[in-house]
Amino acid sequence: MEILTDVNRELGCIPEEAIIATASAVGVSNAEIYSVVSFYSFFSIKPRGRHIVRLCSTISCVMSGSAEVLEAVKGDLGIREGETTPDGRITLETTSCIGLCDQAPAMLVNDEPHTRLTPETARAIIAGLE
Amino acid sequence: MAAGKRLLLGDDQPSIGEALIKAMDMSPADVVFEVRESDIRGRGGAGFPTGIKWNLAGAASGDHKMVICNADEGEPGTFKDRVLIEKMAWKLLEGMTIAGYAIGSSHGIIYLRAEYPYLVPILEKARQDLISQGLLGDDIQGRGFSFNIEIRSGAGAYVCGEETSLIESLEGKRGEPRNKPPFPVNSGYLARPTVVNNVETFAAVPHILLGGAEWYQGLGRDDCSGTKLFSISGDVENPGVYELPMGAALRELLELSGAKDIAAVQVGGASGSTVTPDELDKPMSFSALPPGGSVVVFNSSRDMLDVLENFMEFFVHESCGQCTPCREGNRRLLDIIRSIRAGEIASRDDLKPFFLLADVMKAGSKCGLGQTSPNCFVDIITKFIAFPGDKEGA
Repeated sequence: MEILTDVNRELGCIPEEAIIATASAVGVSNAEIYSVVSFYSFFSIKPRGRHIVRLCSTISCVMSGSAEVLEAVKGDLGIREGETTPDGRITLETTSCIGLCDQAPAMLVNDEPHTRLTPETARAIIAGLE
Repeated sequence: MAAGKRLLLGDDQPSIGEALIKAMDMSPADVVFEVRESDIRGRGGAGFPTGIKWNLAGAASGDHKMVICNADEGEPGTFKDRVLIEKMAWKLLEGMTIAGYAIGSSHGIIYLRAEYPYLVPILEKARQDLISQGLLGDDIQGRGFSFNIEIRSGAGAYVCGEETSLIESLEGKRGEPRNKPPFPVNSGYLARPTVVNNVETFAAVPHILLGGAEWYQGLGRDDCSGTKLFSISGDVENPGVYELPMGAALRELLELSGAKDIAAVQVGGASGSTVTPDELDKPMSFSALPPGGSVVVFNSSRDMLDVLENFMEFFVHESCGQCTPCREGNRRLLDIIRSIRAGEIASRDDLKPFFLLADVMKAGSKCGLGQTSPNCFVDIITKFIAFPGDKEGA
């Protein structure tokens, strides 16, 4: 897990070569590592953008307007959830509860939480990512 | 003051290390005894008596016993552990160290959910501070007892809040629940005797040691012991974390947080129960309304079918897929919820097979996820949804 977490953090994803290398380093089959990588939502096999935006789609955030935030961000970026902008700048994901329900709606941008979002503030935060 | 005494997040905190030093003046068996007598039950949601867990792990044969902190709070609407770590990380570390002393372990791990990366520096700093004060690390206070704590991150999986999944994940595997027995207290992380407790449980331990079991027990209400943190969100004026006696009435929490228009309340997260305004005087206790950490309020403008659909989407996403009743059952329930929304279901009677499915899921799933995910379906459909073919007052 720690190896995969580091790879995922450095490269933004865990490509096939890394799966093979990890498997031989740990002494298990490639399939076993693949099954671990595919199990966790923070791991990705597909290349992702330089920034990962994870907008909460669980109940308290939805009740506070996360759907409107999502629509606004999708409109600006021209991608749907689960996709990456063609310039490789941003991957947009929706996520299960991220434990910021008292400050909903909330999202994580990489490791940073952003709370009490409105479509405008979310747009501004995302536009500010290089 | 009706709210009672606040321990975990109160202003009046013991000095750092006081409880640990007191513990080390006692025998490990006496520490376990004190925790057992306090009657504290796991604050993560399942409510297993902490003292019994410690007793079993302490008595288990095996070297390299482990103390693991479950900081993977993922239940929708729960954020109490986040706040506890933000404000009082030291107390969690001290509680773990006391557990280590009590069961004869020198190694602790905090499994922190991937969604809280910004808490890593806070925990790391608290750890370093304790080490520099001689309250953590090798030969603590010159007493010959050593205890080290590692901080490890999860990678985003709700099911890893289940203790055996969490252990699998720490071992670098898919976070799928194990068969029990053997229980972690006998064979947990790397087959070592292992205690897994929630953040809040560990944070309560220093208070129990300092105040004594009897005093702690007296803080609770109904048949409960101690205080409890509640995360409240949704349609309330002041969402946040509130500390009340364990077993306090739901109404008390709702009043504190400024809930005015209350049509429904979800207690215990998506896997908990959905209660009507008639049930607000029920105590939040393990026997009546097990609270876990989460309370979400819905006002009269909310469509409870939307709420149910959101919960079930969550479970479909988070089911690990190991047990068929859970993997397939949650999908079927989500499908039927969408059919209800489309107006394709005339009456409650048409849903009989799905209530049966809910029973099968509860009985046939290995872990808490599949055993509890149908709760919201049963509660919301039974209490909140009207069908065209229903008789009056159904």
